[in-house]
Amino acid sequence: MEKKRILVVDDEPNVLVTYRLILQQQGFEAHAAVSSEEARRALDSLEFDLLLCDLSLEKQESGFDVIEYARGKNATLRAILLTGYASPEANEWAEAQKIPILFKPIDVQQLLDTISSLTRNDDHAIRQATCE
Amino acid sequence: MTDTSERRRGAALRLLAAERSEEILPMLLEEIVSLGFARALVTAVDFDSSELRPTVSLNCPKSFQHRFRTSTYAMEHPAVQALHTQQMQLVPPTRQMQPVLCYPVLYRHKSACLEAERIHKPECLAVFNSTVGSKINLGEQVCRVCNMHSYAAVVCVELRKRTRQAQISTISELVEIANRQMARLFKTEYYFNRMSDMESTIAQMQTVMESMSDPVILTDNQHRVIMQNKAAERFFKLPDGVSEGRVRAVELNNMLFSAALSSMAVSGTSDSSRDMTLVDAIEGEEVLFEAVSAPSFTRDGRRTGMVSVLRDVTELRRADEELRQNYEKLTAAEEIVRQDRDRLNLIIENVGDPIVVCDKDSKIVLLDPLAAELLGTGRESSRSPVRLRNQAKLDAYITSFTYSFSDRESAPLRLVNPTSAQEIEYDAHSGKIYDERGQVAYTVTVLRDLTAVRRVEQLKLERRMLEMEKFAAAGRLAGTIAHEVNNPLEAIKNCIYLLANNVTPEAQAVYSILKTETERVARIVRQMLGLYRNTEQVGTFHTNTIIEDTLLLFARQLERSGVRIERELGDVPPSVGSADQLRQVLSNLVVNAKDSMSQGGVLRVRTRLLSNGLHETVRVLVGDTGCGIPPNMLQTMFEPFVTTKGERGTGLGLWIVKGIIENHGGKLRVRSRVGHGTVFKIDLPVVR
Repeated sequence: MEKKRILVVDDEPNVLVTYRLILQQQGFEAHAAVSSEEARRALDSLEFDLLLCDLSLEKQESGFDVIEYARGKNATLRAILLTGYASPEANEWAEAQKIPILFKPIDVQQLLDTISSLTRNDDHAIRQATCE
Repeated sequence: MTDTSERRRGAALRLLAAERSEEILPMLLEEIVSLGFARALVTAVDFDSSELRPTVSLNCPKSFQHRFRTSTYAMEHPAVQALHTQQMQLVPPTRQMQPVLCYPVLYRHKSACLEAERIHKPECLAVFNSTVGSKINLGEQVCRVCNMHSYAAVVCVELRKRTRQAQISTISELVEIANRQMARLFKTEYYFNRMSDMESTIAQMQTVMESMSDPVILTDNQHRVIMQNKAAERFFKLPDGVSEGRVRAVELNNMLFSAALSSMAVSGTSDSSRDMTLVDAIEGEEVLFEAVSAPSFTRDGRRTGMVSVLRDVTELRRADEELRQNYEKLTAAEEIVRQDRDRLNLIIENVGDPIVVCDKDSKIVLLDPLAAELLGTGRESSRSPVRLRNQAKLDAYITSFTYSFSDRESAPLRLVNPTSAQEIEYDAHSGKIYDERGQVAYTVTVLRDLTAVRRVEQLKLERRMLEMEKFAAAGRLAGTIAHEVNNPLEAIKNCIYLLANNVTPEAQAVYSILKTETERVARIVRQMLGLYRNTEQVGTFHTNTIIEDTLLLFARQLERSGVRIERELGDVPPSVGSADQLRQVLSNLVVNAKDSMSQGGVLRVRTRLLSNGLHETVRVLVGDTGCGIPPNMLQTMFEPFVTTKGERGTGLGLWIVKGIIENHGGKLRVRSRVGHGTVFKIDLPVVR
């Protein structure tokens, strides 16, 4: 079975590295981007099964922009928004886009459960995941 | 001569045999004519017209009679002269006429009449007329003693040309006899007439007395009963064959009555009334009488006794007594009412709030000075536009209250103080006073000045806002720190996860500590971030909606733990504050409840509105049937970092709950029994 390809975006290099390592350990093909620019480049060059994106990125960039960019390329791309701080706008936006939000500090097991349910390519599972 | 004296004697005897006074003068004229004189007449004084007028005549032609018709003032007339002088007058003969003898006939006697003698009054007319030299009154001949109307007349006899002196003496003798006889008869007749008059008067009086329903009694000077009517007999007269009781009753009545008369006589009051109680001899009842007694006098002023009229005043006095008692009762009641009113007035004046009493038509009937200041006293001078507006507002409120079905009502009322021109918020408390038919008679309204209360509320609100701001600032700080800690923590956590399979067995224990402690830091950071996340967004929220949301959110977890939810959500108004914060409060409490019921149980959530008339409160109860909180923890459980959950808890949950509730001006209380469960009670003020 082909490895699922996941792009992780976070402006904290150490956090980014650990996510990448965990995902690799779980058998995913994990790519990491430390900025929105890097993320766009990666999205341009490769097709991903899942996008894991921190909400607050460097400078004025936000996870929304990255996800929107990615959705512009692949409208059905699954994504998870990670954040340490959720504003009501972010909540509304994520809900509208049917993107689950995980709040930092994130329980690793919960993250892995969410990822696996989204990457199972199962509509039912997606609905389940978004609802939780 | 013998013949003459015989005839004279016969005439005298005939005259003396007369029985009626009016027979005498005609008889006298006949006797005179029979003596051989041609004609004779009597001219009598008519006291009404002051004339001498012929009344009886014998053989007298008109012309002769006419000569003796004259006025009593015509002194030159021989007849008048005869009366005045009491001497006979001789009218000398003229060519056409024989001489005429005029002889006065007047009621007279040397001794006084019986009546005059009895009362020792010498002014008897008979004596007066017989006194020589006294001036005869031809105006009227009335006795001053017995009031008898007497007569005065002149006997006129036409003499022959040569009549002898002896014949004239005979005439005068006969006239004197006739006069004496007439005087006697006149008097007797007078007394007889008077007696029969009196009898009929007495009979009339008796009829009058008898026809009176009140007892009337005539007594003499010794208080002996002279006469009494039937009504009096009932009390004072003893009929034959009566019982001893009645005899005693009548005796007693008589005694009482004469005692009353005596005391009246002694007290000297000539005309007086007094009350006495007599016994009705027939009915045996006591009857109260008012006796009005007046002395009776003779015409000459001698007292002859008393006339007493007894009036039955039993009913009158009873009515009087009743009236007096009623009056006393009324006076006493009035006094009580007056005291009550005074007391009430004192209370009203000292309440310190404006009080208005209105009648059923919402017209003001009573005001205390404070209310008068607001509304005016109704006098023209106290009317101002402000007061009229106040009155209109109050009137509208009271009218609607009067026609409402509630007995009491309270409503906010904004009136303007006429002096300061400031609007004041009042809390109008009204009650109704009903009349005996259950209709509204009056309404009483007390206006409570809410200025002070509102100021305190405002201060409280401001302080709360400040507290909330402080709490929010603390939250923001905590959030910032947590946020900063968050990313390194995330990296550490991920590293710990990555290292899990690479730890040597001897380092496993250390690794385990590292992992759990890091987890704990993560929970603290999560809690702090939660606080930060929820510090904004102040607005209104519906408590029930938030409860429903929270319960829905945790429904699955609770179900998994075997916890049944019982909700009882009342109709509560929206609250002011942060919906997110309240959501966190409820989440924390629900999670605590769930954690305390590891073996399952019941989670009860209730809301209801409480009101003490001035303030409204939303009460939220969150109860569980879990393990409960040990008593020693109840004091400290709201302090930060105190937890019963050991490693799993942060010790921040209840601290945050308490902080949020207090920042909303609310109160948080807890009741718990180990092994039975815990109830958290939240009171949130309603701000409208």
